[in-house]
Amino acid sequence: MKIPLGDDVAFLCGQKGTLALAKTLGHLFYLETDLEEIVIFTDEDDLIVASAFGTGENVRKSLKCTLFQIREMDAPLIVLPKGHPASARLKTVVSIGPKTRIKCDIQAGTHPEQDVLCGTEDFMGAEVIGFPGGAEITNFEGDLKFEKF
Amino acid sequence: MCTVGGPPDISDVESLATKDYECEDCGNKFKGMGRRARCPSCQSKNVKPVK
Repeated sequence: MKIPLGDDVAFLCGQKGTLALAKTLGHLFYLETDLEEIVIFTDEDDLIVASAFGTGENVRKSLKCTLFQIREMDAPLIVLPKGHPASARLKTVVSIGPKTRIKCDIQAGTHPEQDVLCGTEDFMGAEVIGFPGGAEITNFEGDLKFEKF
Repeated sequence: MCTVGGPPDISDVESLATKDYECEDCGNKFKGMGRRARCPSCQSKNVKPVK
């Protein structure tokens, strides 16, 4: 399905998980490691996609907050060392780029492909692809909600 | 890539397709990935990959 996406957030609501997507608007994003900074360049119609392992209003608020901090506040993405205990505590995962594929049978930190994002089984095989003025979502049949960014 | 919360959960940062760049307007040197390279310091698109 194709959805319009301007200055808003689209929520894909599954039974056990939620995805939120918004345009990157061509912003720069920053990955920070112990040793260096990597700048992620994006096109206007690329997407920032956040996935949470939960549902409901608080989860949607959290996802929207995550997207806002990363896109609007230039919050850097800190790369944790392998096996860091904080990885298991955090419940939201984020992907940035023209296309994101959702998988539920992967373990966080074990998939270096840049377009793969962890998700709940509701989203197994789902893909989101940005296009001018919107996004195309495949292999997902749950509810959709929109909010202003 | 996959990130967890704010911090990215990437198993092998070295596997990312990054390039080193230099801004021809402000001289800033940086590492980046993606199609439309731009200087994070002065926002100029006048950047070139460096070896």
